[in-house]
Amino acid sequence: MTALLSIDGVSKSFGAVCALSGVDLSVDAGSIFAIIGPNGAGKSTLFNAITGIYTLDSGTIAFDGRRIDGLPTFVIARRGIARTFQNLRLFGFLSAIDNVLIGEHARMRGTLVDSLLGTPRARAQERAARERARAWLDFVGLNDVGEQFARNLSYGAQRRLEIARALASQPRLLLLDEPAAGLNPTEKRELADLVRAIRDRGVTVVLIEHDMGLVMSLCERIAVLDHGEKIAQGAPAEIRANPAVIEAYLGAPA
Amino acid sequence: MHEFLAQLVNGISVGAIYALIALGYTMVYGIVELINFAHGDVYTFGSFVALTVLTALGVSGEVHGIALVIDVCLAILAAAVVCGVLGIAIERFAYRRLRNAPRLAPLITAIGVSFILENVMQLWQGPAQVSFPAVFANPSLALGPIAVTVKQLVVVLLAVGAMLALQYIVHNTRLGMAMRATAQDRDAASLVGIDVNRAIALAFLLGGALAGLAGFVSGVYYQSAWFFNGFSAGLKAFTAAVLGGIGNIAGAMLGGFLIGIIESFATWKLGGQWSNVTVFAILVIVLVVRPSGLLGTKPIVKV
Amino acid sequence: MIYVYVLATIAAVVIVERTRSRRVKLAILAALALTLAIVPFVDRTDATFNVLADAGVFVMLALGLNIVVGYAGLLDLGYAAFFAIGAYAYGILASPQFGVHLPFWAILFIAAACAGLAGIVLGAPTLRLHGDYLAIVTLGFGEIVPQVFQNTQAVGGPNGIAALDVPSALGHSFGTAAVPYYFVTLGGIALVAWVARNLGRSRLGRAWMAIREDELAAKHMGIDTTRTKLAAFAIGASFSGLGGVIFAAKLGLVSPDLFQFQVSVLILSMLVLGGMGSLIGVVVGSLVLSLLNSALLPNINAVIASTLHVNVDLTNYHFLIYGVILVAIMLFRPEGFLPNRERRAELHAAAITETSS
Repeated sequence: MTALLSIDGVSKSFGAVCALSGVDLSVDAGSIFAIIGPNGAGKSTLFNAITGIYTLDSGTIAFDGRRIDGLPTFVIARRGIARTFQNLRLFGFLSAIDNVLIGEHARMRGTLVDSLLGTPRARAQERAARERARAWLDFVGLNDVGEQFARNLSYGAQRRLEIARALASQPRLLLLDEPAAGLNPTEKRELADLVRAIRDRGVTVVLIEHDMGLVMSLCERIAVLDHGEKIAQGAPAEIRANPAVIEAYLGAPA
Repeated sequence: MHEFLAQLVNGISVGAIYALIALGYTMVYGIVELINFAHGDVYTFGSFVALTVLTALGVSGEVHGIALVIDVCLAILAAAVVCGVLGIAIERFAYRRLRNAPRLAPLITAIGVSFILENVMQLWQGPAQVSFPAVFANPSLALGPIAVTVKQLVVVLLAVGAMLALQYIVHNTRLGMAMRATAQDRDAASLVGIDVNRAIALAFLLGGALAGLAGFVSGVYYQSAWFFNGFSAGLKAFTAAVLGGIGNIAGAMLGGFLIGIIESFATWKLGGQWSNVTVFAILVIVLVVRPSGLLGTKPIVKV
Repeated sequence: MIYVYVLATIAAVVIVERTRSRRVKLAILAALALTLAIVPFVDRTDATFNVLADAGVFVMLALGLNIVVGYAGLLDLGYAAFFAIGAYAYGILASPQFGVHLPFWAILFIAAACAGLAGIVLGAPTLRLHGDYLAIVTLGFGEIVPQVFQNTQAVGGPNGIAALDVPSALGHSFGTAAVPYYFVTLGGIALVAWVARNLGRSRLGRAWMAIREDELAAKHMGIDTTRTKLAAFAIGASFSGLGGVIFAAKLGLVSPDLFQFQVSVLILSMLVLGGMGSLIGVVVGSLVLSLLNSALLPNINAVIASTLHVNVDLTNYHFLIYGVILVAIMLFRPEGFLPNRERRAELHAAAITETSS
């Protein structure tokens, strides 16, 4: 197994607040990997560091053997890392299908001239992109909502639309930030199936999640963050038995 | 050297006016993140209100003694009150509805309000420059090697006095505290029982009142008023607010004086026709190189 | 008659917008184009086409600004600067000032390129800025450009450049009539509107929408936001450059006071009135406001003068009218009168959530 994503000694602080300190992580290609930890542990900060929103204070991040820290967000996205957001960031006033088409942006070719003149090549490409976008909507289980505004969809549908948008860029690594938040048990089960289906298409998945039942049943490897430090990493059974993890979740023993 | 000092004094006096206007921009931006584009025109409105009051009092030239104090106080009071109320009215009717709209919307509205005010003033006072009575006797005082006119002294003293009063209100009164809390975090402020609408209105009131004072001061200083003055004065004052760090009250004062001095030296060294270009170039450069200004802090991206 | 032409045109484009059938659309557009082309040969009143040609320039400008403001959501308050650059390009390259006399048609390309380049030069350092700050920087730039022209004696200083060459086509001089300019603007509008429509449906157009809605999310989709925004600035500016050339050639002179902030706001008002982001809305909005200025207000003046025997000049109040339009529309119908679907929802939903906090 080779590591698709390797994070080495990553630290990031905001003023006096240390959000990440010396975090090491390594995610194998083709796995489903979870990052868990109490609120404020630095999980989302880690995602933001991976996608280049924050510049690191120290440490390196490599994707598929190449350094990506310090690159602009859009370049990292084009390398093959897609994500969803904890508080949905869909393009709310665009249709669902347009959201997915924007996800395809980096995979579409086209010069400025094509866009200006609406050349036959551009139109053909547009048709193909639209078909792929429909297929992605089908894949996440959103048939028949293509023309609706993203913001008018149900919450669960918006979560799935965000995943479809991310998949449309044909990533090799998908980062899901609390994908099950706010979903009911049925929706959670469907989400777990969807994540497995995504992995089966060859996409490595890293997710941040609070629902332990979901994490334990879905993920092969789990890393635990607390106060910006990684306190444990391992298979679900190991994590469940790890005293440091139990302490982080239940508080220091009296 | 002599010319240098004279230009410096000049710049400080003009800068005092910019600083007064800049305070309104910075307070409003600090609390609702809106460039109140009409603020420059509120300032011009202040000039005309003061002029109207002075005319009504029969003032057409120099006034002395107790009459001077009364006339000046009445003119300032009227300008400050009217402009403060005007500020509140603009907020209430033009901006409040758009507080949660896309950022473009309130700014476009603000430009519209600015156009309306300019046109109203043009209807009221005509399209030409209007002369403003030279209220103060204006002998030159020698402070060591520097020659300062009474007018310049009055301008700077009034401005500094108003700024001290503002600092007091913002830092030592309950309403001022409410205003600062709202600027920090509107939702949290409303959760702890602060009347956010009142706090925002206070920012517009104080900003408008200071602009009114600036309108009086500039009338006295330039001995003229023009319906379109507020456009470029407003832009320069906004530049001052940005230079000092928008949202930062001390920064707006510092920025105002700096812009006044820079403009004064640009006029001296490059010629008056380049002074606007210089100031706008500074605006562009500051925003590009250091958008947080001299005294501001960089915001953290929230995801 | 002028109102008949304009209202008929507006009716035609609105019908085109509302029809579903592609064939019907094309048929109406063809009929409209044919009618607009024939009209000057039937109606010989040059004054009508003078007004229409001037309006046509503003339609082109508004379509250009719509790329920047409507599509990409970047508020550009210095748009008149690019208009000035286009006009001065004609002034410099087709006048006795420097003894250069390039053909009108060549200068159209040069001016579009120059204005587009200026858009990039302005945009490159400033597009990192967000919202209001960007607007103010563009405003600053918009003030600097005419000031620099005004302060540069080589281009005539405050007087500008006069006695510009009269364009010619196929060996025939345009002469003093307005009709040739009317045809040029018709062609210009057709070109610019077609390009704008293509852009709106392209990969680039979608990237603009993404940036308008959520810049951070757009970056995560692999969109190079800086380059994408620069493209909007450059394309919008080059439309304005084209308009500037036609404007200068028709007027026969350029001077710095023609490109003040008010011009930028006028064009913005056209967008706001019709509906930011909506092609049809922008065309209609710019026609209506241009006509208001050059035909409707003077006509009302004349009516008032003849019936009430009072001399008023309503054209003095046109900035008041723009101000009222900007405020009233942003407050009560922020999507404009002929909005497109996305912008209607976005602008309207946000405006009606009046804060109770």
